Amino acid sequence: MGFILRRLGFYLVAFWASITLNFMLPRLMPGDPVTRMLSRSQQRLDPQQVESLQRLLGVEGGPWWQEYFAYIGRVFTGDFGVSISRFPTPVSEVIAAQLPWTLLLGAVSLFLAVVIGNLLGILAAWRRGGALDSVVPPLLVFIGSFPYFWLAMGSLYVFGVTLGISPLRHAFSVGLTPSWDLTFIFDVAAHLILPALSIVLVSIGGWMLGMRNTMISTNAEDYILMAEAKGLRPRRIMFNYAARNALLPSVTNIGMSLGFIVGGALLTEVVFAYPGVGYQLLAAVQGLDYPLMQGLFLTITAAVLLANFLVDLVYVRLDPRVRVG
Amino acid sequence: MITTSIRRALLKVGAVTAIGALALTGCTATPGEGAAEAGPMLTIPREDMGTFSQNFNPFSPNAAPMTTQSVYESLLIYNPAGGDTVPWLAESWETSDDGLSQTFHLREGVKWSDGADFVAADIVTTFELQRELLGGFDYLDSVKAVDEKTVKFTFNRKFSPALFEVGQQVIVPDHIWSEFEDPSNEENPTPVGTGPYTEVSNFQAQSFDLLPNPNYWQPEKQKIPGIRMLAFAGNDGANLAAVNGDVDWAPQYMPDIQTTFVDKDPENRAFWFPPTGAEINWQLNTTLDMFSDPEVRKALSMAIDREQIVKVGMSGYTIPADCTGLSGNYDEWRDADVVADCDWTGYDAEAAAEMLDEAGFTAGADGQRTTPDGKPFAFDISVGSTSSDWLSVANIIAQNLQDIGVQATVDSPDWAAVVAGYETGEFESGIVWSANAPTPYQYYRNIMSTESVKPVGEQTFDNYHRFGNERADELLADFAATTDAAEQAEIMSELQGIYAELAPVVPLFPGPEWGAFTTDNFVGWPTEENPYATLATRAPTTVLVLTSLEPAE
Repeated sequence: MGFILRRLGFYLVAFWASITLNFMLPRLMPGDPVTRMLSRSQQRLDPQQVESLQRLLGVEGGPWWQEYFAYIGRVFTGDFGVSISRFPTPVSEVIAAQLPWTLLLGAVSLFLAVVIGNLLGILAAWRRGGALDSVVPPLLVFIGSFPYFWLAMGSLYVFGVTLGISPLRHAFSVGLTPSWDLTFIFDVAAHLILPALSIVLVSIGGWMLGMRNTMISTNAEDYILMAEAKGLRPRRIMFNYAARNALLPSVTNIGMSLGFIVGGALLTEVVFAYPGVGYQLLAAVQGLDYPLMQGLFLTITAAVLLANFLVDLVYVRLDPRVRVG
Repeated sequence: MITTSIRRALLKVGAVTAIGALALTGCTATPGEGAAEAGPMLTIPREDMGTFSQNFNPFSPNAAPMTTQSVYESLLIYNPAGGDTVPWLAESWETSDDGLSQTFHLREGVKWSDGADFVAADIVTTFELQRELLGGFDYLDSVKAVDEKTVKFTFNRKFSPALFEVGQQVIVPDHIWSEFEDPSNEENPTPVGTGPYTEVSNFQAQSFDLLPNPNYWQPEKQKIPGIRMLAFAGNDGANLAAVNGDVDWAPQYMPDIQTTFVDKDPENRAFWFPPTGAEINWQLNTTLDMFSDPEVRKALSMAIDREQIVKVGMSGYTIPADCTGLSGNYDEWRDADVVADCDWTGYDAEAAAEMLDEAGFTAGADGQRTTPDGKPFAFDISVGSTSSDWLSVANIIAQNLQDIGVQATVDSPDWAAVVAGYETGEFESGIVWSANAPTPYQYYRNIMSTESVKPVGEQTFDNYHRFGNERADELLADFAATTDAAEQAEIMSELQGIYAELAPVVPLFPGPEWGAFTTDNFVGWPTEENPYATLATRAPTTVLVLTSLEPAE
């Protein structure tokens, strides 16, 4: 219990530090939202019109400390105000409309990468020096060294444009209405394959190598020898004795990756015009949309911290040594 | 053990989903047509909105696309491609003799999409809202409804460009907007407008349809079943859609458009980039000693090879600028004599070198020039990092200047940082767009009026290069005060003369108005031979295209 409380305290401090950074960093960037809007659309307005626009969007701003306390207050009430780049849509609405797609894409690709990567890692380490062990890791590391958006563009070109077997864009076909019927669900799945695949291909190598390496050192442990001596079936030793113990570093990685789901697929989303928050974040940064940036950064921060906290909890369950330490 | 079986189960689910999805890909590759019976929708990509919000408030700076093109209309439409003015919601208008008021006679039989009549009160309310929410129109004293179909604008001073500014304001219905408690925060999800396609249908995050207005005043011109907008987070996605034939109209920049787009289907596809966009200038900060002499600015202008800039930097999509600095939008104002008499926009490196020698910017033994007070003649050219075409323009300029011993360095941070420098006057030189309006008044005012000059350190939004000329002030005031066309033309000629004499900025080329289309599904597009509008989808002329297109045979 003491361990969990200590971790909780740590997360509170980390949370405060990150929301303060969220507040400060955007304000250190040059320009203001209205100028940015005009420079992006290459417009010229009278100074008086610029002032009206600033007033309309509420970006005149008071002293920074006043804004800071108002901001802290808003963080705790969950009200982030109105987005500037999507004025007058509230920030919470913008995020709520797009977060599910990012979560879907991120969760599916993370799930596939973790499961397949770890399985491959386990098998490779178990038959060390075998065909799987000598061919797949170098291949995956090779693929993994490509930037993921490059793979995304390549696969879009090959499967979408040249072969014409996969959708080119968006999360579902134009003309459909979101619902829970099968047509729609399959349509969403079809649109998900390429974006998810491009992320999975790039990240799977890391999972596999990590798992393989820990598995190899676990395989050398005495209790594995003991299990073999007892005459347990190899499959049982592999999964329940070796893999379970080799899983710990992977769990930490899952926690970190969970947190980065929210902001991690930005370029994939742009290439496939996927309606996630990644592109919205980019647009918010470019447009100096303080409220939206704060809302998104906070969502990401909260996701990272929450995921790490969950991992800590899982750790306690998985590894009794942590409880004592 | 439990963990193993869970893993296996999850793996199975994953595999089944993937296989199922793969199996269905074939079926979903052709997107379902919402209005299949009525024929295909006019599909248009929007390349700078990753997702849409259902916000059809025309006073919002980020309203959904087509809000001010297809839902709301204006009193008149100025077409920069043909240089003509099309009466729209107003049938006719006249200016009083003293130039202090303007009367519009509204078209009979115009109805809002909810069936209500279009009346003068709508215009009064619109201007109240516009001035309250977005400002502008400071020359406007009052807007009064004379009767149901006549509206009178009174000005507090003579201001001839008012006709187009007032006339191109989109009008919202009084009976709806006077009911809104907070018009600035109103998202107006189901708009009521006078435009041809007003009925929002199937609004999704990345697409929506606009169906015909049942009460449109030109029902014979609603020949297409509707408009379908698609959201894209960047040019690449939108270009892919255009190349693949998934959209009918491609208003975004496409590199090497002939090969990538037109050659795929030369029968149906075409592009037209009229040079009617804003003039793109290379501005020199005139508050700096090295750029204060007009002869130096002209010499620098002569040192750069505009043909190469246009051909290489802009892929041949536009034409070199002349000494009036006017873009193709202002062709009817251009004074041919000024253009003929002046040479500082032609490429002549030798003459440029001589002029710099005369101005005291002589070259040392190493070939590098120094300013008269002995410092190296070196400066930055600022341009935003995202504008790849302008970056290449800036690099060509830097190379050209290198040839005559001037050291220019291309500096390309984020646009916001560049513009922040422009606004406070803390820059050396930079590439910048300019004002684009129906008359060159705003353009010359932003470039030469002393009123718009602010000291370095103080923020300004128009005269970044900080150049003012008193004679230009007088001429601009005279231009605003007269509505006589001949007199206006004369004043504009004189302004062009001042511009050609003093070179306040270095004009490079007029910005092209991007636009490409396919006649697969729709015909009747504007072209160079029939310039009834440009191919822009965000301009006042867009509605002219929407009401001219018809389904292909």
